[in-house]
Amino acid sequence: MSMNIFGAEATEEKAENARLSSFVGALAIGDLVKSTLGPKGMNKILQSGSSGDINVTNDGATILKAIQLDNAAAKILVNISKVQDDEIGDGTTSVCVLSAELLREAEKLIAQRIHPQTIVEGYRIASAAALQALEQAAVDNSADPARFREDLVNIARTTLSSKVLSQDKDYFANLAVDAVLRLKGSTDLEHIQIIKKVGGKLTDSYLDEGFILDKSIGVNSPKRLENAKILIANTSMDTDKIKVFGARVKVDSTGKLAELERAEREKMKAKVDAIAAHGINCFVNRQLIYNYPESLLAERGIMMIEHADFEGVERLSLVTGGEIASTFDRPDLVKLGRCDLIEEIMIGEDKLIKFSGVAAGEACTVVLRGSTSQMIDEAERSLHDALSVLSQTVKETRIVLGGGCAEMLMSCAVDLAARKVTGKKAIAAEAFGRALRQIPTILADNAGYDSSELVSRLRAAHWDGRADAGLDMNEGTIGSMKELGVTESYKLKRQVVTSATEAAEMIIRVDDILRATPRRREAV
Amino acid sequence: MASIAAPTPSAAAPSRTGSNKAFNDKGKPMEVRLSNMVAAKAISDAVRTSLGPRGMDKMIQTPKGELIITNDGATILKSIQALHPAAKMLVDLSAAQDVEAGDGTTSVVVLAGSLLGAAEKMLEKGMHPTIIAESFLKASQKAVEYLTEVSMPIDIRDNTALLRAATTSLNSKIVSQYSSTLAPIAVNAVTRLVTPTSSNVDLRDIRIVKKVGGTIEDTELVEGVVLNQNVVVSHGGPTRIEKAKIGLIQFQLSAPKPDMDNTVIINDYRQMDKVLKEGRQYLLNICKKIKSAKCNVLLIQKSILRDAVDDTSLTFLKKLGILVVKDVERDEIEFLCKSLGCKPVADVEAFTEDKLGYADLVEETSSAGAKVVRITGVKNPGRTVSVLATGSNNLVLEECERSLHDALCVVRCLVKKRALIAGGGAPEIHVSRLLSQYAQSLKGMEAYCFQAYADALEVIPTTLAENAGLNPIAIVTELRNKHALGERYAGINVRKGLISNILEEDVVQPLLVSTSAVELSTETVCLILKIDDYVQAR
Repeated sequence: MSMNIFGAEATEEKAENARLSSFVGALAIGDLVKSTLGPKGMNKILQSGSSGDINVTNDGATILKAIQLDNAAAKILVNISKVQDDEIGDGTTSVCVLSAELLREAEKLIAQRIHPQTIVEGYRIASAAALQALEQAAVDNSADPARFREDLVNIARTTLSSKVLSQDKDYFANLAVDAVLRLKGSTDLEHIQIIKKVGGKLTDSYLDEGFILDKSIGVNSPKRLENAKILIANTSMDTDKIKVFGARVKVDSTGKLAELERAEREKMKAKVDAIAAHGINCFVNRQLIYNYPESLLAERGIMMIEHADFEGVERLSLVTGGEIASTFDRPDLVKLGRCDLIEEIMIGEDKLIKFSGVAAGEACTVVLRGSTSQMIDEAERSLHDALSVLSQTVKETRIVLGGGCAEMLMSCAVDLAARKVTGKKAIAAEAFGRALRQIPTILADNAGYDSSELVSRLRAAHWDGRADAGLDMNEGTIGSMKELGVTESYKLKRQVVTSATEAAEMIIRVDDILRATPRRREAV
Repeated sequence: MASIAAPTPSAAAPSRTGSNKAFNDKGKPMEVRLSNMVAAKAISDAVRTSLGPRGMDKMIQTPKGELIITNDGATILKSIQALHPAAKMLVDLSAAQDVEAGDGTTSVVVLAGSLLGAAEKMLEKGMHPTIIAESFLKASQKAVEYLTEVSMPIDIRDNTALLRAATTSLNSKIVSQYSSTLAPIAVNAVTRLVTPTSSNVDLRDIRIVKKVGGTIEDTELVEGVVLNQNVVVSHGGPTRIEKAKIGLIQFQLSAPKPDMDNTVIINDYRQMDKVLKEGRQYLLNICKKIKSAKCNVLLIQKSILRDAVDDTSLTFLKKLGILVVKDVERDEIEFLCKSLGCKPVADVEAFTEDKLGYADLVEETSSAGAKVVRITGVKNPGRTVSVLATGSNNLVLEECERSLHDALCVVRCLVKKRALIAGGGAPEIHVSRLLSQYAQSLKGMEAYCFQAYADALEVIPTTLAENAGLNPIAIVTELRNKHALGERYAGINVRKGLISNILEEDVVQPLLVSTSAVELSTETVCLILKIDDYVQAR
């Protein structure tokens, strides 16, 4: 007779079962995203179960975030992909795929009765060797601005070539590099605003200096303003309602009521006067501006923009250097925003407001156009990936070669190191090398090329001493990645290898999965 | 065993290091792709029959039970409740074309459907989707090049060219028999807004006022402004004012109502009289102030909190001889200010003469049962245009507005990109012919894809011929033949049912409509092609 140790619905999976369950989960995730890898990777449709909205993407992190999972190991993979997204912004698919491949190798080793701890040890030796090789291969061109820019463009091209923007990658690579270089070393991508407008084609997108606000200028205000002094406010310009609950007044005649109304108007007028006393010529409010204050402001020739949203107001305050004010009694304490020119521009069928020559010179706006909203959303994600990789590269300037070259390089180094290792660990280290080789294999598979042929040729090339050899995805041959300009950020690759190894190790060491009793929900 | 909520994993397959599977061995991606294509083609087939001058109309019943009759692709697709993701993308595509060019919303979807059909055949042959996608994009660039080459630059001041383009667009609509009325209206409306340097026109500066009554023929471009609203006549106020001074007010002519909760307390009956008297006095004061500013036409903005104007003040205004129009929407204010040269007044204290607009005549006329307020002879008018659209019933009127909008867009396209190309399937055949020639100079998969792309373009002339009841094969082959013989402008003359020089028939369309249709549809097709999985997300 068995004893009931756990609660009624708590479950336990032990040893083999536990391992099997985590391997299956992780491999499933790996297989799911692996077809999106590389320049010939495919897209996925994500359809939201609740709203039915669709999303077309090949960004690993976006896919993984969207799917629902009930498997501990799979969740770990999703997490490392998220971390990769936050830290670097790109390589989210690679990290997940590499981790899954490491687990696939581990599964085979376990079938050969090698202890999980031994595998972990072997993986550690191998990953150290791989990282060392990667560091040696990294090149730093930051001393020479022209070459550094070229590097950046190449990195952007490499990142974008696996995305929806691949056809126009040159255009967008330059756009992204221009945007990032404007930041002057800051990694704060908040300064780069992306505006999406359906209509037009992708190459109609452009980079504009300054800031664009998707709102309209109030009635009767000037539509163009030079040397603008901007007051950014979050205040109610409808009526100053007394917020005490149940405030009411009692009057005994209509005349008094009219007086009351007049008093309210006077109060608003005083507020507008206080605002105008700041010596401004542009007033941006997060909330609505009603007719009366609107006409008062217009009389004073102040341009007003109402209902600018939290995001708009915050960005505006960031780029123009103004503070968001909500009281107006002390004009001397409020920092005003400044910009050279405010004007109305037309994108597609919409009128927007452009602030150019803003105080924060690094701010810029990317206007994305495209045929469908899915297209633009995906373009935005791609561009965001490129921008974050670039901004990271500006900080950590070393680069490595892409196109499977870095992976093969590491794989060779791992093989070399494995030879010197004694004991069963060596088998695990070799397995690590095989897993690394899976990346070029998948790249080739996705493109429909003969992967085993290409990868074995690639390996031979590397043992031959051609350290810059990689997969030329357009021709389906082995080529020099240096000449093709396929480069990637060193930081990205290092992060991919370390976090994939860590995640794999963690999953391998699991020998027991305990599930707590699900929290009871009251029946509705 | 663990369960995975995501789509079933393709079985934890053994390592595929040694495998050398051909691409089309993967069952699931192919299945997803095919399902996308079937859905997309279904959408394209749904609108296909409405293409061209002999296209048929669709009757759409909205969930609310309203009826729409249209042959405007964008409108049809918007009303279809597409469920399939790929179908939704085509709906978006049509909407994008509507934004970019305004016309050609049907063509763009038909073209996308045809391109997908071509791609499907190539996929079956085992070609890799990304190769097809890339080649298609290259082909579309080439196609745009050819289109630009065959286009004729125009001068924006040349009204006849604009007229021809607008007429062509209108000819494919339900209102085609009125194209001679509507086309000049569209051209005049846009040319009034255009300056020689402008590269775009904001169509919001063109206001279409719809009135049921009369026929479409009575539609006119009004010198001045037409209001959506009618004059308030319940108190016998004037309906015709000469030498009008127009005030636009945003305050209300009714009993005061502060924003705070309030109560008027009346303790005895004598106070009752007082309250009423004061109320009248209050309104009278406001009305007198309005009169003293020499205002005699009053436009009152709608108010949600209280009556914009009440009976008492209407009586006063009538006595003062002021014409009243109420229920002006807030988003109309900007347009009215611009066109009348007046400024909105939000407070009675600020109501002064300099804020008024001046017009020679404000009059409510009634023709064929439709009452319309016209404001003519406006001094300092802004760059705005009003069009009064009339029709015998709402359905016709709505469709008339849509068609007029398309025609306006066509003219606007010519402002954006000042070139015309022939219509009637001529440019498509031309591009298709040049592309297949070009394909012969290429090698490998690309050549094949270019050829397929070229063939797919022929869907436009084929559909035109089909919809016109002609034999598509005979017509398209003859057309191809004519083009091969160097008649670049040979196109399908749908009315006569034969091939002729389409330029002589004055069938032309803006270059932008065609190029944007080619570019947008190719972009979308490529996005669809690259999809290999379908994930149910949260």
